[in-house]
Amino acid sequence: MSDLLDTNETPAKELGPRPGLAPGQTVWELLAAVSPRIKDNPNTYEAQQLNRVSLDQCVKCTICETMCPVAKVTPLFSGPKFVGPQAERFRNGESVDHTLDYCSSCGICTLNCPQDVKIAEINSMARAVMKKDHMPLRDRLITQTELEGRLLTPFAPVANWALKQKPIRVAVEKVVGVHRDAPMPVAQSQSIKGWLKHRKGPAPRRPGQPDRGPVVFFTGCAGTYFEVETSKKTIEVLEHLGFEVLVPKQGCCGLAEQSNGLFDSARKRVVKLCEQLNAAGKELTVISSSGSCAGMIKHEAHEIMGVDDPAVRSVGTRMRETSEFLLDLFDEGELPTDFKSLEMKIPYHAPCQVKSQGMGMPAIRLMELVPGIRVIESEENCCGIAGTYGLKKEKYDVAQAVGRNLFEKVKEHNEGLAVCDTETCRWQIRNSTGVSTVHPVHVIHAAYGLSDVFSPEV
Amino acid sequence: MRDVMVIGAGLSGLVAAIRLRQAGLSVALVHKGRGGLQLGQGTVDVLGYRPQRVARPLDELDEFLADQHRASDIPHPYAHTGADAIREGVRYLAELVGEDYLVGDAEVNVALPTAVGALRPTAYYPPSMADGVISLDPAKPGALTAGSAVVVVGIREFKDFTPELIAGNLALNDLPGGGRLEARADWVSFPARDGEVDSTGLNIARALDDPARRGALVDQLKALVRPGETIALPAVLGHEDPAAFADLRAQVGSPMFEIPVPPPGVPGMRLNDRLTRIAKEARVEVFLGSNVLGADSAGGVLQAGVVGTTGHDTHLKARAFLLAAGGFESGTLELDSYQKVSETILGLPLAIPAGELIHDTWAGQQPLFSVGVATNDDMVVVDPATNKPVYSNLYAAGGVLAGAQRWDEKSGEGIAVASAVRAADAIISNLAGGQR
Ligand SMILES: Cc1cc2nc3c(=O)[nH]c(=O)nc-3n(C[C@H](O)[C@H](O)[C@H](O)COP(=O)(O)OP(=O)(O)OC[C@H]3O[C@@H](n4cnc5c(N)ncnc54)[C@H](O)[C@@H]3O)c2cc1C
Ligand code: SF4
Ligand code: SF4
Ligand code: SF4
Repeated sequence: MSDLLDTNETPAKELGPRPGLAPGQTVWELLAAVSPRIKDNPNTYEAQQLNRVSLDQCVKCTICETMCPVAKVTPLFSGPKFVGPQAERFRNGESVDHTLDYCSSCGICTLNCPQDVKIAEINSMARAVMKKDHMPLRDRLITQTELEGRLLTPFAPVANWALKQKPIRVAVEKVVGVHRDAPMPVAQSQSIKGWLKHRKGPAPRRPGQPDRGPVVFFTGCAGTYFEVETSKKTIEVLEHLGFEVLVPKQGCCGLAEQSNGLFDSARKRVVKLCEQLNAAGKELTVISSSGSCAGMIKHEAHEIMGVDDPAVRSVGTRMRETSEFLLDLFDEGELPTDFKSLEMKIPYHAPCQVKSQGMGMPAIRLMELVPGIRVIESEENCCGIAGTYGLKKEKYDVAQAVGRNLFEKVKEHNEGLAVCDTETCRWQIRNSTGVSTVHPVHVIHAAYGLSDVFSPEV
Repeated sequence: MRDVMVIGAGLSGLVAAIRLRQAGLSVALVHKGRGGLQLGQGTVDVLGYRPQRVARPLDELDEFLADQHRASDIPHPYAHTGADAIREGVRYLAELVGEDYLVGDAEVNVALPTAVGALRPTAYYPPSMADGVISLDPAKPGALTAGSAVVVVGIREFKDFTPELIAGNLALNDLPGGGRLEARADWVSFPARDGEVDSTGLNIARALDDPARRGALVDQLKALVRPGETIALPAVLGHEDPAAFADLRAQVGSPMFEIPVPPPGVPGMRLNDRLTRIAKEARVEVFLGSNVLGADSAGGVLQAGVVGTTGHDTHLKARAFLLAAGGFESGTLELDSYQKVSETILGLPLAIPAGELIHDTWAGQQPLFSVGVATNDDMVVVDPATNKPVYSNLYAAGGVLAGAQRWDEKSGEGIAVASAVRAADAIISNLAGGQR
């Protein structure tokens, strides 16, 4: 027994070449050749290890179980602890718990786990394996956010009309699997690129306005094609503060593909996007009004897909969500607070993608800097949509149940406006409450006197 | 710059953050996940054993501390806070959450039946446990006295509560005032969701938040309860609706109480949710899911906490810092395989008892659990070797404090609130004095 344990007794060279290891082959390559878990695995080894090691930290306290918004509303999903750290022990290529597909990847479990177990990340990776060879056509289609925007923008009135026609939506549900009542973005006649091209340029410098130098603005697919108003208002607020806003040519971050387990293409997209953003300046702060895309670049690309790319790392460390950025300015005493008063109660939902950035809820403090505004936090974990989850016909009812309390709260407390930082969540809230739901920058834009808070109606 | 950064959102962090905020200070509360409060029983233990069962915790405090001082070279947290801070801490907590959440008296302990049918001393408890109270004070009889009849009712779909075991053991206990209870077991069926045969306590509680679902349970309870009996049920009677229990009890028409069950335990969660909501509504800035990785300091003063936000670390500046990050159970204290204990967030010096840290027996106290940070009476963290502050503006509260055997003494919540209040008040007066 003792000499078995005493490894120091055996000089390394006596071990000889490792069995099966071809000359020049790494241990990892050998493992990949023989292990079903590693072979053909869409996950990178690094991401797998990063998240897998955390499962041993699970103390089975069940805190994640109590917080999961999906497990709360349906018995179809066996819950984060079971599907995450527990099932992961038994996964060796095949999936041991198919209810995994009901996880919406909202990440609420990871946020609340006091032991740092990467539950949502483990789930996301396992889903990529589970769906690898039978990814529904629908999941491939709805992840093409940039393509959808490019196709729809020129036909905006027609597209919007079509998406409101019940028979068309029923057909779409049957053929593609997107639920007939699921929220759809409103196509705009002009993308942010079109607006930038046609506008006269930034407003002329006001007397006394500081020159704060350049920042890069990352629009995101939704901000380019659908939530164009949010992008415009962010640019105008930043310019109002004295920044020069650079908007380089840019593609999609790949988030929708990532959350549907299409890792290979998502990895390529996020790297390409970061190279494009880097091209505008390697030291500049990158601002995003798309909370979810910011999360993808800041951490999900790395933590879930194992992307270890210098461009992504560089942009990720420089990226700030708009509210985060403005509040940082405030904390440094550099944000002008000559806001006009806006007497209103505003229900606010912090989307999971913003919660998971570990920066608290900057939008609440930011909006309450405006005299008269009282923010009512939704206190709900999720709106249900979780990117593309709530669009799917088999998940639609679950997603609506997840969002129910939130919708009721928004309906009860709104005075014509609700606020949320990510696009798909806004569509979900709008669709389910009928209340105009906007990005926080919309409110700040109005408080600086740059627009009326109710215009345009969205 | 914030006035105060609180690290940890357990009982101590939440209570301190709210108190600081109510005093008009700006507070950032940063935590990497929910704390032990949610896993607890929804009760407030001040001092349960010393080692014999404690009836009047504050009256017995001096004797307890004197014994403790003889046995250990590390002062107990209560030696720093004193009885007044315990009184104020518990009062403050109970007033914050309100009578729908906590009732009781810090001066007198009561005994409550547990999920194995033992009797456990505590000071404050949810009103849903009031009908199960057994007095430790001969002058004041509790709800249950010698000869009281209890029917312990299990729910078939809920596996963590076995009424035969509980009733059997309950009937064997000699009550503090003499005599025994009469106890029997019975069962009801309540599937929380359609077709669910194995429900969590939380799912049952959520179902009972819906008034329309209560009738099914009420009918079965009415059918089984005998005249004069008190009903004991697992603590799953409603989660978000604080009136759920009172409604069920009124509909059944018999005395009724909840017995806490293993996590996910609902009473702890009710308290945790309530305090979190109060903190947020008071505009404590809550940073959920954010690890504090370290801090920046200069000249013996902490300047900023380093928060592991995604993408980039955030250096969160504040004038004072409160370490309320718990002990071993939350990873703030760590023991390595060389038996070296360390504090993982700020690398603080620790008070460590002399001699062996772990006895290889289950019985008795483990000296390891009394390891923690040392403080002065203002809860400022000091180096135990010199008794000098490590940083002039760093305070500590709760499970990270040295000197207690929280689980054996049943003192965890009392220490958390007493030290939170003591630290908060010291911070409030220090920040008001001069620096502002
Ligand atoms: C299962 C269980 C049952 C218990 N039962 C009893 C009982 O019956 N009687 C009794 O007296 N006591 C009991 N206790 C102990 C009692 O709950 C604790 O003593 C008390 O709640 C301590 O609270 P705390 O605020 O100090 O720390 P905790 O509740 O442990 O909270 C620590 C907080 O710090 C955060 N944190 C930790 N590290 C970091 C970091 N690096 N960065 C950011 N945040 C961090 C955590 O996320 C958490 O929010 C129990 C504890 C547990 C876990
Ligand atoms: S919250 Fe974390 S430690 Fe607790 S059960 Fe879930 S994964 Fe495990
Ligand atoms: S990611 Fe969201 S849906 Fe999935 S297990 Fe975690 S909390 Fe539940
Ligand atoms: S609210 Fe979330 S949890 Fe829900 S989908 Fe939107 S970003 Fe996520």
